[in-house]
Amino acid sequence: MTVAAGIGYALLALGPSLSLFVSVISRKPFLILTLLSSTLVWLVSLIVLSGLWRPFLPLKANVWWPYTLLVLSSVCFQEALRFLFWKLYMRLEDVLDSFADRISRPRLFLTDKLQIALAGGLGHGVAHAVFFCLSLLPPAFGPATFYVDRCSKVPFFLVSAIIALAFVTIHTFSMVIAFEGYAKGNKVDQVIVPVIHLSAGMLTLVNFASEGCVIGVPLLYLVASLTLLHCGKMVWQRLIESRNQSGPTLR
Amino acid sequence: MESSSILDSLGVEIIGVMAPVSICMFLVVLLTYSLSVTSDPQIRTAANLIYIENPSDSATVKLEGSLENAIVFVVLVAAVTFVLVLLFYFNFTNFLKHYMRFSAFFVLGTMGGAIFLSIIQHFSIPVDSITCFILLFNFTILGTLSVFSEGMPIVVRQCYMVVMGIVVAAWFTKLPEWTTWFILVALALYDLVAVLAPGGPLKLLVELASTRDEELPAMVYEARPTVSRSHRGGGGSSLRVLVGGGGGVLDSGSVELQAVGDGAATHNLDYNAVAVMDIDSVDGVGRSREGHSASSVSSEPSRELGSIGNRESVAEEEMSPLVELMGWGDNREEPRGLVEESDNIDRGIKLGLGDFIFYSVLVGRAAMYDLMTVYACYLAIISGLGCTLILLSVYNKALPALPISIMLGVVFYFLTRLLMEPFVVGVSTNLMMF
Repeated sequence: MTVAAGIGYALLALGPSLSLFVSVISRKPFLILTLLSSTLVWLVSLIVLSGLWRPFLPLKANVWWPYTLLVLSSVCFQEALRFLFWKLYMRLEDVLDSFADRISRPRLFLTDKLQIALAGGLGHGVAHAVFFCLSLLPPAFGPATFYVDRCSKVPFFLVSAIIALAFVTIHTFSMVIAFEGYAKGNKVDQVIVPVIHLSAGMLTLVNFASEGCVIGVPLLYLVASLTLLHCGKMVWQRLIESRNQSGPTLR
Repeated sequence: MESSSILDSLGVEIIGVMAPVSICMFLVVLLTYSLSVTSDPQIRTAANLIYIENPSDSATVKLEGSLENAIVFVVLVAAVTFVLVLLFYFNFTNFLKHYMRFSAFFVLGTMGGAIFLSIIQHFSIPVDSITCFILLFNFTILGTLSVFSEGMPIVVRQCYMVVMGIVVAAWFTKLPEWTTWFILVALALYDLVAVLAPGGPLKLLVELASTRDEELPAMVYEARPTVSRSHRGGGGSSLRVLVGGGGGVLDSGSVELQAVGDGAATHNLDYNAVAVMDIDSVDGVGRSREGHSASSVSSEPSRELGSIGNRESVAEEEMSPLVELMGWGDNREEPRGLVEESDNIDRGIKLGLGDFIFYSVLVGRAAMYDLMTVYACYLAIISGLGCTLILLSVYNKALPALPISIMLGVVFYFLTRLLMEPFVVGVSTNLMMF
């Protein structure tokens, strides 16, 4: 629907991540590298999943349970990969700490670790937005638009951009929650991340019903805002804790 | 926070190389999308000498033809590289420099001019021919001047390197599909052999240049990080120390760097960053590529002017697929009393122009299929480049930049096209995402 609309859809899905990138991540080159590597991990997971599911595609459009299975298996695989990603990150943290000792600089601060987790989550989110939303956008730059039968009130591009925005938020902040949960051994945090991811995936299945997107998308945003709130609360608590711990010394 | 964290400056050198590569790839993709160039089968270039691809040929014919094209191309590249090594060995350095300036002029003027003309035509920009000619002439002259002169700001030089990479890559994307893939893979393999094998032309060139303490006569992108002086101790060699371990800094690799820093004249220090690895400057691959792209250009005007001539040599020199590492050694140089000079030398990595070109060709070819393949190939190439840079800091000698990235890029392209596309498109058009 013209170049303006195409750029608009792209910014709708990726606008907040772009501002996060420019304000936080582009200042520190290491965070850019973290973002690129987590995007790569997500891409590899997607390739593996599509390799597994390729013999069964294309799925019939009217039956909903193969899609359930697909989403379920994909979410489980990606959560397992997130745990492996965290293990890798732990090793990297050791390397960075010993490097800091060697050049007699301070070790990684709490904010550094949170920023690395944020960059990792943003990488996942950006990969999701690019593969699920942006790659289908080129037709939107042309003169026409496209509607899907199941969600006939809104152009397809707009709906997918809105859903992509919700998922970007979920991916970004659940990575922060997950890293802190694994680091502290906090069971609540560790369990809540797969639950959030799974429920978000399942909620998109609601779109399968006719006009289901009217219910599905707002509920998805509810999940996204819950993730944001939980992450904010957790980070706030950790920062207060660490400030109390460092006591009277001014940092 | 008053005390700075190590995260502030870690990885600056890598980003300094990845950013221009990303910009080059992005602009080539934009150019491919907006101009929608279809490969014109009528042009016979050096890449098409044996077999001109016809979309209606069967798969085996295409396979054989493309394989023959690729082999001939690599042989031509290798031959020209050897000629270059000979010229350098017999100290024709001035000739090489002038030749490189001429080829920069040629690339920017004719190939760049052709692209500008097609952009003007496509977007119906109202500009008259005299203005256009004057602007193009100025642009080309500035580019030629920036190639080897010392007075130019480094930003101008870097911009022109990227522009030249874009122009040549845009021309290469006009090649037919099967030929492009075979040529990319063949060049990656050639690069591996030419830089690492004992008789390889690029390896000979690097050794010659380092024994004579001269800079390589080639077009290289130098990434000079803008790390402040206060971070110099930590930032400059941070990647090397991080990867190589603390004690590993003072080993044989550093000796080379020191020798160069001592011997060369001050004004050469900027360019001599010794271990530059991947610079495409090592002409071999880069050159031949340019040679071919030059001959592809010449085939069109040759129909008008009737002279094919010696275009081959034009592009070749500049592009050598080598990556070199520059100036990582401030830890060692300081005890030698070279602190002032080491402060003047900017640390950075040098990447050859041919690497820019072939990365962009791969991504441009992926762009002709879909945006998903573009992103997958971009990530593959960037991660290959990252691996190469890490290997660079471990081994500290010239390394080929093409093999890992091109192999990963090709693998990811075909995996995405065959596996991922039906999966993702099928799921997301039903508004189901995870």
